[in-house]
Amino acid sequence: MLTPFAFRLAAQSLLHEKWINLLSVLTIAVCFLVMAMTAFAVYNIDLATKKLPEKFSMMVYLKDNLSHEDLKNVVEALRKENVVENVKFIPKDDSIKELRSFLKNTSFVLEGLEENPLPDSVEIKLSKESIALDSVKKIAEKFKGIKGVDEVEYGEQFLTSLNSVKIGIKTLGTAFIIIMFGGILFVCYSTVKILFYRKNREMETFKLLGATKGFIRAPFLIEGATIGFFGGLLSLAGVLIFYYSIILRLSLTIPLFKSIAFPANAVLLLPVLGFVLGITGALIAIGRIRY
Amino acid sequence: MIQFQNVSKHYENHTALRSLSFLIDKGEMVFVTGPSGSGKTTMLKLIYLAERQDEGNVTVAGHETAKLKESSIPMLRRNIGFVFQDFRLLHNRDVFENVAIALRIRGTHEKDIKARVFDSLKLVTLRHKSDSYPDALSGGEQQRVAIARAVVTEPTVILADEPTGNIDPDLSAGIIRIFKDINAKGTTILIATHNRDLFRDSGKRVLRLDSGNLVSDEVQ
Repeated sequence: MLTPFAFRLAAQSLLHEKWINLLSVLTIAVCFLVMAMTAFAVYNIDLATKKLPEKFSMMVYLKDNLSHEDLKNVVEALRKENVVENVKFIPKDDSIKELRSFLKNTSFVLEGLEENPLPDSVEIKLSKESIALDSVKKIAEKFKGIKGVDEVEYGEQFLTSLNSVKIGIKTLGTAFIIIMFGGILFVCYSTVKILFYRKNREMETFKLLGATKGFIRAPFLIEGATIGFFGGLLSLAGVLIFYYSIILRLSLTIPLFKSIAFPANAVLLLPVLGFVLGITGALIAIGRIRY
Repeated sequence: MIQFQNVSKHYENHTALRSLSFLIDKGEMVFVTGPSGSGKTTMLKLIYLAERQDEGNVTVAGHETAKLKESSIPMLRRNIGFVFQDFRLLHNRDVFENVAIALRIRGTHEKDIKARVFDSLKLVTLRHKSDSYPDALSGGEQQRVAIARAVVTEPTVILADEPTGNIDPDLSAGIIRIFKDINAKGTTILIATHNRDLFRDSGKRVLRLDSGNLVSDEVQ
């Protein structure tokens, strides 16, 4: 199927219809570039949201009047959990001190209290992998069941919002990338379709002369693949220019840009993606060949 | 080589062929004639499988066409050389490439292509025009290029549909002479034409069609 003659036919057609092909390559490159930028943004937002839970902690409030032994048992029980990374016991006296220092000038609200109303508590840092809305909920339920634990508090609101933001950005990003994929596929499809229509009579003659379906398809598949590949290659150049001449330079002056990650291996896939989409678009454009 | 057994072909509004039966032996040169719409082209289309019959059997070079899968059609067509009224040449390629394409489709080795194409062009006396493009040739020359393309693959059968329909009458005799030369080498030839001058006193067999019926089968 992929004979030297098929490559020759494809090369002749690429040169003969150079303006259509060039326009298609540029359109594909722009689509890929926009798609890569979106993926780049989603990737970085995802990374940033993953870093946020590092500051996440869970507060376990203990019941009043627990004996020293009971307190020790509760802390030990919490520490034994696999998901727990760090446990810090905060006596209620320390808590009230902290509250007073927090309230500063308004600490008069605590005047008149005969005894410390705050409970003893344990601040727990969970391992990074376990910080997801569902798993944290389960962990909190489990901690509530430990003897001596009165209440468990965690940033449910924070986790819910973080979760929603992550899902929202990922969904929007994925939808946009799929649309761009469709766009690229359509450009490859329509380019090959136009070329196929233009050569319809030639193809009919080929069929009469005994050409197989593979022989007829091959030059168009090569053409589609070439258009897609060069579109991807051009967008790769665009992405590299964008990163090395803008982001990297900005990171020298603006510290925020230093934390931006560049998935260098992934962008190398752009020409490969273009190649695959080009062939797919061409296959759809040629459709079924009938004799 | 070509056999029709009670072959009928119907279209929506009319019947193109009615219970047609005949046998063309290997090495024969046969003319098919009849007025426009008599079924000549439909008959050829059934042979090269551009159409399928509704009834009966068509056998070409030992293949029963009704039993052939679509994927086998190219292989059947490689046994056949085609010559059409409108030549069907590729106008963006020169004469050499127009003839060579039939060999390239068959995957012939590049070094064999050159010799075979020039041999075919010599047969139709167009060796000197191998670099010309079809648009620079006369109608008669274009038809000779089409014949060269049909014979270059050394097919067992050549089908010609009104091969002189688009060329001057005085050039027609030359075209028929070329067909006779090819036939003399053993190739079976079937020519559909409404031009009686082509087969008059030719000593060749003539099938006469009228409204899809075979009305006569005789040697002229």
